[in-house]
Amino acid sequence: MAAREEVLTLQAEVAQREEELSSLKRRLAAALLAEQESERLVPVSPLPPKAALSRDEILRYSRQLVLPELGVQGQLRLATASVLVVGCGGLGCPLAQYLAAAGVGRLGLVDYDVVEVSNLARQVLHGEALAGQAKVFSAAATLRRLNSAVECVPYAQALTPATALDLVGRYDVVADCSDNVPTRYLVNDACVLTGRPLVSASALRFEGQLTVYHYGGGPCYRCVFPQPPPAETVTSCADGGVLGVVTGVLGCLQALEVLKIAAGLGPSYSGSLLLFDALGGHFRCIRLRRRRPDCAACGERPTVTDLQDYESFCGSSATDKCRSLQLLSPEERISVVDYKRLLDSGSPHVLLDVRPPVEVDLCRLPHSLHIPLKHLERRNAESLKLLGEAIREGKQGTQEGVSLPIYVICKLGNDSQKAVKILQSWTDLDSLTVRDVVGGLMAWAAKIDGTFPQY
Amino acid sequence: MVSRCQVEVLYFAESAEITGIRSETISVPQEIKALQLWNEIETRHPGLADIRNQVIFAVRQEYAELGHQLLLLQSGDEIAIIPPISGG
Repeated sequence: MAAREEVLTLQAEVAQREEELSSLKRRLAAALLAEQESERLVPVSPLPPKAALSRDEILRYSRQLVLPELGVQGQLRLATASVLVVGCGGLGCPLAQYLAAAGVGRLGLVDYDVVEVSNLARQVLHGEALAGQAKVFSAAATLRRLNSAVECVPYAQALTPATALDLVGRYDVVADCSDNVPTRYLVNDACVLTGRPLVSASALRFEGQLTVYHYGGGPCYRCVFPQPPPAETVTSCADGGVLGVVTGVLGCLQALEVLKIAAGLGPSYSGSLLLFDALGGHFRCIRLRRRRPDCAACGERPTVTDLQDYESFCGSSATDKCRSLQLLSPEERISVVDYKRLLDSGSPHVLLDVRPPVEVDLCRLPHSLHIPLKHLERRNAESLKLLGEAIREGKQGTQEGVSLPIYVICKLGNDSQKAVKILQSWTDLDSLTVRDVVGGLMAWAAKIDGTFPQY
Repeated sequence: MVSRCQVEVLYFAESAEITGIRSETISVPQEIKALQLWNEIETRHPGLADIRNQVIFAVRQEYAELGHQLLLLQSGDEIAIIPPISGG
């Protein structure tokens, strides 16, 4: 039974390696915390002017130094420039990486969030071992390995109206790499009030946008978008998805604009918007409007004279995490625990999964009927037929006069509530009780079935 | 007789989600006010009403105010509807 012995040996070896690995992770977490403590004490003072490059610097930056547009003067400007990076995610990681590599003097890194496994496909400064750690410390550690001469100042906190003016005012250029609308208005207003140029990029699905606001008399974010979009029309990367290389392309273009401003070359996208369509492979440049004389922030008689409550202005929270909707009463909902009990009892019902097909391909409960919410909204005939058949089939197992329950499920328990509302409005379903499963399949994965995929 | 032309309308981000398409060619009067042009497009896709105050409306790759200024269009001109995206 040599094979059996080998299995046992290998199992023991794996267990030993796993123990070593978790010990390393504990030491790393402790080291990161210690680093965090020591960094709190570092004051941020203005960077001193620099008269000349050292021999090491000349070698290190030689490929960009021989560009006549940059030259020694440009490099010296970079070395004394400070850039505030708001958000260390899909845009902030590549941006900070190239700014550090190019020799920008100081990078302020702002992010309240921690590294999650689902970040790793695009947030390229964070490694597997640092899941659960603050993104700013993870980013700072990677940037220091890349270029120890660059000073990285991590701020493991959200940018808020209380802190933004002070923070933005300490930096020369601001890069908006955030992932939500309230933060974008907050960063814009803070830049206008402190007179800082704002290089703004964003990405979603296969699309990206890049522009420079409040530079050389050009428009600010509010000149172009005076009113925030209705919260329900805003899609986050968590909901809509994004391809990592798209945030990578935009973060790099954004870094280029920051470098050109910091080195004194001037930006290319002040007053114009670059659109990147990664599916079609097109770049388009749209000339934007001029500064709006009646702009609330940068106009002639501004009404934004101090920072305000941006979450209530935008009707959404300053995060890209999904907010829980409360559309239904508790009686119209069921917990995953109660649903599991009902499922185990063999009680007849229909489980309706309303997620988009691409998500159903990832994972599903095998007994569920799949009709996307969009089809319900449009009363898609084929889908109605499917639902009718499932209901007729389910009713065969119930007694005469007893209504057949329909349970609606989605990823997190928001779309399922919308679907219940739609089904309740259909009078032809009168004899049915419709409920949704609170927390959706992610609650199922967390509380009922640990092998069910999370995404 | 008002002369008409064929313009290409491009839908970005949320407007592509609302309309379900990324572009289409439509027939519009050659002389048309920007607001009327938007209204023609909104008539084809009523869901766009939700975002009309939050988009960049661009004619021939240049921002156009949704107002009463007269546009002189030619066949092949590109109209773009660009809602902001905020992910990152």
